[in-house]
Amino acid sequence: MGLVEKGWVPKPLTKVLNTARKYSLWVYQWGLACCAIEMGAAFGSPRYDVMRLGVIPFPASARQADLVVISGTVTDKMAVPIRRLYEQMPEPKYVISMGSCANCGGPYWDSYSVTKGVDQLIPVDVYVPGCPPRPEALLEGIVLLQKMIQGEDMVDRWTKGDEQGVAQLTAREPNPGRATGGSAKSNEPVVVGAASRGERNQSPVR
Amino acid sequence: MTLTEQQQVSYIASQAAEARVRFELETEGMTLNIGPQHPATHGTLRIVCRLDGEQVVWADPVCGYMHRGYEKLVEARKYQQVTTLINRIDWLGHFANEVPFILAVERLYEVEAPERAQWLRTIFFEMARIANITLFLGDMGVQLGAITPVFYAFRDREHVLNLMEAVTGGRFHPNFDRVGGLKDDLPKGWGDETKAVMRKVEEFCDQMENLLVGNEIFEKRTRGIGVVPQKVALEYGLSGANLRSTGVDWDIRRDEPSPLAWKHADWKVITHTAGDSFARYWVRLQETREAAKIVTQLIDGLPSGPIMAKMPARLRVPKGEAWVHTENPLGEMGYYVVSDGGPSGPFRCKIRTPSFNNISILPWLLRGTYVPDVVAILASLYFILGDIDR
Amino acid sequence: MSDTPSDAPAETEEAAQPAGPPPDPEREALLEALRADLGDALLDAQIIPEDLVIRVDRTAWRRVAETLKIRHGFEYFCFLSGIDWLKSPELETRYEQVYGAIEGEEAASDGDPSPFLGDRVGGGDGRFTVFLRLQNLRTKLGITVKADLDDANPAVETLIAVFRGADWHERETWEMFGFDFTGHPALRHIYLPTEFEGFPLRKDFPLLARAVKPWPGLVDKEPIPGEDEEEEANA
Repeated sequence: MGLVEKGWVPKPLTKVLNTARKYSLWVYQWGLACCAIEMGAAFGSPRYDVMRLGVIPFPASARQADLVVISGTVTDKMAVPIRRLYEQMPEPKYVISMGSCANCGGPYWDSYSVTKGVDQLIPVDVYVPGCPPRPEALLEGIVLLQKMIQGEDMVDRWTKGDEQGVAQLTAREPNPGRATGGSAKSNEPVVVGAASRGERNQSPVR
Repeated sequence: MTLTEQQQVSYIASQAAEARVRFELETEGMTLNIGPQHPATHGTLRIVCRLDGEQVVWADPVCGYMHRGYEKLVEARKYQQVTTLINRIDWLGHFANEVPFILAVERLYEVEAPERAQWLRTIFFEMARIANITLFLGDMGVQLGAITPVFYAFRDREHVLNLMEAVTGGRFHPNFDRVGGLKDDLPKGWGDETKAVMRKVEEFCDQMENLLVGNEIFEKRTRGIGVVPQKVALEYGLSGANLRSTGVDWDIRRDEPSPLAWKHADWKVITHTAGDSFARYWVRLQETREAAKIVTQLIDGLPSGPIMAKMPARLRVPKGEAWVHTENPLGEMGYYVVSDGGPSGPFRCKIRTPSFNNISILPWLLRGTYVPDVVAILASLYFILGDIDR
Repeated sequence: MSDTPSDAPAETEEAAQPAGPPPDPEREALLEALRADLGDALLDAQIIPEDLVIRVDRTAWRRVAETLKIRHGFEYFCFLSGIDWLKSPELETRYEQVYGAIEGEEAASDGDPSPFLGDRVGGGDGRFTVFLRLQNLRTKLGITVKADLDDANPAVETLIAVFRGADWHERETWEMFGFDFTGHPALRHIYLPTEFEGFPLRKDFPLLARAVKPWPGLVDKEPIPGEDEEEEANA
């Protein structure tokens, strides 16, 4: 939607969009070790059903996932696939680090082959402590994440990390005056991109 | 050390002279990477396969994605701290990992746990077996495309995990075994609860039998797939149900003297002669039934008494070496503990894990199989990554 | 196969026997047969509770494995690994750092000036040992075979022609200790990434996280309100 990139998103729209997004998360489980079993119990077992929260497990691939739950010990050898698969996920994406191994290295804090925490590789949104955390704890982590998503600023989220793409889009904006309106935060990528290419006052190619 | 492809092929070819591979068309092979993140591998196992069409020409499992350095970490910990760590090796068969280590330390320290503790250890050991194998029974269905059994498996496992939680406080990773006995005694009413759960476990086994064992698709996909002859199994050190499904009648619980209480229960050792994936599934199914029987009998005859021998607060294990192995859910797990007589932990602790040997047969076994059969074979060999990679 | 309750041998009741290990006729008979077969290659042997440990000459490593497999029925390959007997100074001082010296007990070191741990089962000295475990499923006996390696160039012959399963175990032992298994076609990393440097299970390979911050790490002691005086009185 052009609205979001322009930074012109009214509050009710944000609320609706965030509610829709938080109840339609597609979870990619990255089950590495023991926490994977508790994650499997949370996602696949009929008792701790995660689908009632609107979160659906088992996407076909990482490229279709919104949320990844890293559960289990991250070793240095595994760090490369984790990074690669994280980069395959499209924005907006969220990461839950489950279990103490993924949080900080856990009981293997002194090992020569363990990465002390997955946040050394990818940015983490929610940390779920435990060894292993109960399935209910993971569900609570997901609920916390949903609260975070509800309170998100859509424009900030949408344009995060994508300055190049935003600059290309906004170069074709019909009303450069409109682009300067709205919140100052969302303007920065727009202004910088347009100004650097001197296309601010050009008419759109539409 | 890097190898050229030619060296790799000739190496594996020299190993697998018995496998027959038919080349119909001369085409360029494709290298398929199964894993390390793949729904069909029980964790982070990567198998690099060279394919000719659908057939695997050679397969090279790459493990180590879960290597946490147990043998080094254990050296840096005291004996009491080691149990916290080692029950995460085979993370489904929780309690069963601690038992051989504790028995080895008890042998070095020359102390015997009281009888009630040994009986309780046996009960928890068999419950670990049930918790582990029920997941396998459901999971094998998922690997072959039958999604329903795994829901039953998770649901019925919950009962066993609740029991463990009632006693030890942890659903898995109980960290309950101590040198000289156990940490705590049973809560009130646990015995009756357990017997009810064991009846549910037997019902679950019946359900699995109804769902999978007679199913035509399941039989077609597992009978005759991944046949392991006896001699090869012995050379590679296959253990547990993998070995018994080839016809070797070997069960450490029955065949080796142990302070635990298996001799006090009436149970059978299950073997099968086919050595294929179906045999492995069937043997484990029957073993779960036997495990439920053992637990029920041992609960009935549980002796009373203390659960911990008189042990000093600071454990100082005399110099020596001890090897103890047990029939874990995945196979034969053993610890070779070398003690230096000092106040800290083991000097060297070699952990012999069953899945490491079970997977080492894959280069030999997968040669000449088709890609869907690779999944069936992996599922039936049943390994846990923590067990392979330690 | 039905369960016949196995006779719990006297070994499990060791606590009642103060003097020496109880007799073990099966293993002693096996040991005699091995002495006859192996001759000079068998350097030393010891029967410990539930186990027979023999130490052989490293040049006869493969011959011993073949003899055990073919002539004595030890067909089941359990595992193969190594031991580094270098006394680790890090562990001893670490204990004292955290807990202080134990009153009334002797010091952490055993008074032996050698840098390598002595008094081993089956004897031997030197830094590196490779050991192998085999099982005879018919007689239900197991055997541990050790061989001391050259400290400067630890190397021994590969066993993959005798036991195919030794392949992965030798790769792991090479990776962890640096032993060379001559004749093995592909000694490459099995657990660690290819770029890993060093041999982790050697005693002089430090655990860097512990060197930086030894256990128990940052100990946060907060006084419980109302009980401070009690703590101070007891301290």
